Amino acid sequence: MFRKKLMPLFFVMLLILSGCAGFKTGDSKSADSGDKVVIDFWSFWGSEIRRPVIDKIVADFNESQDKIEVKHTFVPWGDIWTKELAAIAAKNPPDVVINDINATALRGQKNQAMNLSQFLEKDDISDRFYEELWNATLYEGDSYGIPFNTDTRILFYNKTAFKEAGLDPEKPPATWEELWEYAEKLDVKNGDTYDRIGFYPLWGVNSDVWMLNSDGKNFFDEDGAPIIDTEANRETLEWVLDWHEKYGANTINSYKSQIDSQQGNPFFNGKLAMYVNTPTFYTQIRDYAPDLDFGVAMLPEREPGSGNTSWGGGFVAEIPQGSKHPEEAWEFIKHLTDAEAQEYWAVKNFDNVANIEAAENAAKNSEMPDRDKVVYQMAIDNMENTLLTPVPVNAPDFMNLVNPELDSILLGKKSIEQGLKDAQQSLEKLIEKSK
Amino acid sequence: MRKKLNYKRMEGLQGYVFILPWIVGFIAFTAGPLIFSFAASFTNYNITSQMDFVGFENYENLFTADNLFWTSLYNTLYYVLFSIPLTTAGAIFLSALLNQDVPGIRFFRTIYYLPAVLSGVGVYLLWMQLLDPGTGLVNTALGWFGIPGPNWLFDPDWTKPALIFMKMWSVGGGMLLYLASMQGVSKSLYEAAKIDGASSWQQFRFITIPMITPVIFFDIVTSLIGGFQIFQEAYVMSNGEGGPVNSMLFYNLYMWKKAFESFDMGYAMAMSWILFIIVFIITIINLKLAPRWVHYEGEER
Repeated sequence: MFRKKLMPLFFVMLLILSGCAGFKTGDSKSADSGDKVVIDFWSFWGSEIRRPVIDKIVADFNESQDKIEVKHTFVPWGDIWTKELAAIAAKNPPDVVINDINATALRGQKNQAMNLSQFLEKDDISDRFYEELWNATLYEGDSYGIPFNTDTRILFYNKTAFKEAGLDPEKPPATWEELWEYAEKLDVKNGDTYDRIGFYPLWGVNSDVWMLNSDGKNFFDEDGAPIIDTEANRETLEWVLDWHEKYGANTINSYKSQIDSQQGNPFFNGKLAMYVNTPTFYTQIRDYAPDLDFGVAMLPEREPGSGNTSWGGGFVAEIPQGSKHPEEAWEFIKHLTDAEAQEYWAVKNFDNVANIEAAENAAKNSEMPDRDKVVYQMAIDNMENTLLTPVPVNAPDFMNLVNPELDSILLGKKSIEQGLKDAQQSLEKLIEKSK
Repeated sequence: MRKKLNYKRMEGLQGYVFILPWIVGFIAFTAGPLIFSFAASFTNYNITSQMDFVGFENYENLFTADNLFWTSLYNTLYYVLFSIPLTTAGAIFLSALLNQDVPGIRFFRTIYYLPAVLSGVGVYLLWMQLLDPGTGLVNTALGWFGIPGPNWLFDPDWTKPALIFMKMWSVGGGMLLYLASMQGVSKSLYEAAKIDGASSWQQFRFITIPMITPVIFFDIVTSLIGGFQIFQEAYVMSNGEGGPVNSMLFYNLYMWKKAFESFDMGYAMAMSWILFIIVFIITIINLKLAPRWVHYEGEER
């Protein structure tokens, strides 16, 4: 009797349990729609401008195919990679994902991204891309992601201000010394405050870009040993501190928030004469200061002959580990990074693409206004000088140790020598520990 | 007799079946991950490729080799130590003010509660503008009194005070609790006190405060737990870095970086268990101390 009465309850229990078991996600993904294989593509391009462009590229691919259908899923910036990681751990990842280029090797090492060499053996597309970008995707010689887009840092300068200061608007500063001289001439001081600032190196980029620029060397050498406590880095930081002293902390801090605020950037209204940023900063000039007469140049070199080294990053398309349709994903990645799709992306978004042919075609594309072309061409030319800084796989979080030291130096809490020495030591310790 | 027992057992079983969905959920989404994370804290788990038992290595590294662990712990303790007394006192003070019977009090109650409703990234971005050393409202206002404001989020000595200051803005949540408990204090107590000639301050000190101690206790315990978990503010306001000079590198932010930037999931899980133990001990101390100052009506001592 006891059992009989309990029976319905056990059924309820079973129902609940089976209900739980029935929640399986991702069934739709592996199911074929018609006779097509549906693959899932994740990107963070959800903005009004970017979304239609990527959707068009996906639609073009789908139209050209009778076997594969790509479903584009927008996952917001900030969530996309933690979500991807969770999906990989749950063995239900997307088939293609857009990810940060500088940590591609790390994801390869950690088994998050798929080794693409099996596909590259059949069709080698590596020569489509800038060499520096391609190398950043390699871990132990194998590629784990295909470069999609990139960026570099260039100098923007205000031609009107140049004319006012008696400088030749077609002759941007070529060395650090000239940069300083020009800035002195471009400064407009009104009592204690500045009506115009010539140049300040830490708006738009950080001091690590200038250290890279000064001797073309990263924080790690080819063997992965840290090289941060160097003569060139000491000189660079001295130079940065000179600028800091020149304008004073108050002026610098009060400009800082305006620079970060997009439409309030003092470069737009002529309150800042020279400014370093990515070529895509141009789209903001186009939107917020359409009448500004400006020029673009490579980053000045520390001294004649030291090189105009600049820094860049970018994104890759990769196949997460555990993708159920890697073959099809590869087909789509090829489409995503071929010249046609890349040129379309470049022109519509004014973005630097990884495909060399596409970039060069975009710079000549009739859809681009002349002013756009000038900036775009500079971006392409500057790829020659652009270094990427892939994170070392044995010390991916090294900047956690370096940044505070650089902060301390710039805030005057530590001497340059001491700060760099401490940074060097803590990096050596970190590398030692992770061996 | 036997039948009655069966009936009781029956009822008990039915009860279990009714809470079964919760039990299943608890096991699947809370207890399971808890046990897993504890186990994983003894491994070099990195989500995708490895999970080898490493014994106490993670814990050992944390305590002996990782300066950032101590920095983040210090930052978090600093924040908790200052923000909790200040917000608690602030909330009690505000609710005492709003407990008056004056015209338009509802309006003020709403206004002061509003910041507790608004929260998240938008608020932090707003505060970044308010705290801007050059153009922000805070320093501008200080300037009216001839006080040169600090550089707030750019100065490592001022970042944590800035966050604590910001936290004060949202005392509305605690305030509402205190207000409710103050309104529950029996009027007869005040009347009796008045007859004895107690001043307003004495009434507040010797009636209101003791009567609301259970709420103060509750508020302190929950804010302590919340305070140790500070993450979002620092993540947004330091651009995910925890700088300048690691001054905003709070415990959870560092843990997050370890987990999702360096994929040292085992290490991060060891960190989370250490935090659990710290918060657990502090809560136990709180509970032990509570009988000395928390007053429950009708409680027998």
